[in-house]
Amino acid sequence: MYVYLPIAEMAVHIPLFLALGGTVGFLSGLFGVGGGFLLTPLMIFLGIPPAVAVGTSAAHIVATSVSGAVTQYRRNNVDLTMGLVMLAGGVTGTVIGVEAVRMLRKAGLFDVAVSLSYVTFLGAVGILMLIESINTLRHVHATGQSARRGSGQHSFVDGLPLKMRFKRSKLYISAIPPAIIGMFVGFMAAIMGVGGGFVIIPAMIYILRMPTSVVVGTSLFQVVFVAALATVLHAIQNKSVDVVLAALLIAGGVIGAQIGSIAGRKLKGEQLRFLLAALVLLVAVRMAYDLVITPSELFNLAPPVAAR
Amino acid sequence: MMAKARRYVLAVIAAVAGLLGILASHALAQDAVQGSESVEADVSARSVSIEADFTGTEIVVFGTVENSKQPSAEAGTYDVIVVVEGTPAPLVVRKRSNLAGLWINTQSIRLASLPSYYAISSTRPINEIAETPVLDEHGIGFAHVRMVESGSSRTASTDPKDMEQFREAVVRLKQRDGLYVRADYGVGFVGRSLFRSTIKVPPNVPIGRLTARVYLFREGTLLGQYKSEVSLARAGIERFLHDAAIGYSLLYGLGVVLFAVGAGLVSAYAFRREA
Repeated sequence: MYVYLPIAEMAVHIPLFLALGGTVGFLSGLFGVGGGFLLTPLMIFLGIPPAVAVGTSAAHIVATSVSGAVTQYRRNNVDLTMGLVMLAGGVTGTVIGVEAVRMLRKAGLFDVAVSLSYVTFLGAVGILMLIESINTLRHVHATGQSARRGSGQHSFVDGLPLKMRFKRSKLYISAIPPAIIGMFVGFMAAIMGVGGGFVIIPAMIYILRMPTSVVVGTSLFQVVFVAALATVLHAIQNKSVDVVLAALLIAGGVIGAQIGSIAGRKLKGEQLRFLLAALVLLVAVRMAYDLVITPSELFNLAPPVAAR
Repeated sequence: MMAKARRYVLAVIAAVAGLLGILASHALAQDAVQGSESVEADVSARSVSIEADFTGTEIVVFGTVENSKQPSAEAGTYDVIVVVEGTPAPLVVRKRSNLAGLWINTQSIRLASLPSYYAISSTRPINEIAETPVLDEHGIGFAHVRMVESGSSRTASTDPKDMEQFREAVVRLKQRDGLYVRADYGVGFVGRSLFRSTIKVPPNVPIGRLTARVYLFREGTLLGQYKSEVSLARAGIERFLHDAAIGYSLLYGLGVVLFAVGAGLVSAYAFRREA
């Protein structure tokens, strides 16, 4: 039950990686995130070279997000205008990110940069989400109804130029914040092997104040394209996309994603956000632990990165 | 599975045929004038193809001591060391240290070349077989593996003790990954002059040419050596995919994305009715 991976140059246990793809796919369907923030660390933990893990995880994210995005699109939960504006920023960010990966690998700082990014972003986002969802859950518990977002609130976003109408989100705001968020997420997608859903979803809710119903669909829509670009760029620049590994993860992932999105409809938004926050924090704490405790092995080996 | 079984059977047949050939030539050589000893050897397979079901392989290195003066297989008159080396490759070794509470790679040395895989098998521990200078000269043993340092290292000191630390780390980590393997009693004599050793090649072996060297010693003196090669090469679908990824990376990348999109769409539509 083993198959040899042509790029990673190693044999892997087929059922193990199908299950890994399925589990991550389930979570991504459930929460509407790509699941890359779980997949990349788990692959590295199972012995896949970090560069291959990052490149291949991008391909997996394409498959699960397409699957999820189509389902959301059919339910009319995608704001195409918003998605395209974010994508414009996302493309720029991804190109910069893939180049940054090459430079960091050359300097031997890639592992640390990835760990630090995970700890910082996952930690910050996780804590924010946790506080928010606990407050909401308490509120729901006390009054017996879901919290409504305040429609009369104003923020710095309202003062910016280049205003656009986002019909599906019922918003009339500047195009600059969505583009910057997209760019930032594209950069992370390349450097961390993640789709960036765990950052983009909170950003859409708290900064852009989009209605929760269109957040997941729109996020998935833009993640599809950013992850596709990241996959192609990793394949060209780092030659680190393993198609056999991707096929295993995708086969498990697309099925898991569908089951997850069905399960997701049975949970309330507040509960989902609480669970996602807990999961995100768990990964952050685990990564921080590895950065801080004295490692049992101080040395590590890596193939040199070719100069261009 | 069938293909693998067939490969093993072929390898065994080849090994047995080789052994018989050596036995026959040895029988003829018995009549020849008693001369000084030398070694002749070969490997069970000259080429190993790496296909989708590759999970590592075993290579049998066998040979004979010409003009053996050994009374029996157990006498221990001769020592044989078998070294199988993978293609030399460059490597960066990094060392973490604590910087403001975080463990970060701070020092590194860049090795221009060292064997990517190194298996050593001998009749007894190598330091009992020969003196350090001899082992050093031929690159026999983990402590004597040839590592060529390149210019662009990033270390605080050039202290030889520090360098030794890096060197030991390379061997330790390669051993952990199963790429550096040692069997102190892995070579056995079968009769007065025939010996054999089985070398395990792990699935994560870097693909390329393996060089098998056989050294014959008596009382610390090198009597003879023999060299043979095994080529490891991708075949079938593995070869096609790897060539595509390296040679046509844009098409390959687009192909992977198309496949991913297709798989996602298929599953979204397959589940539509249930949803």
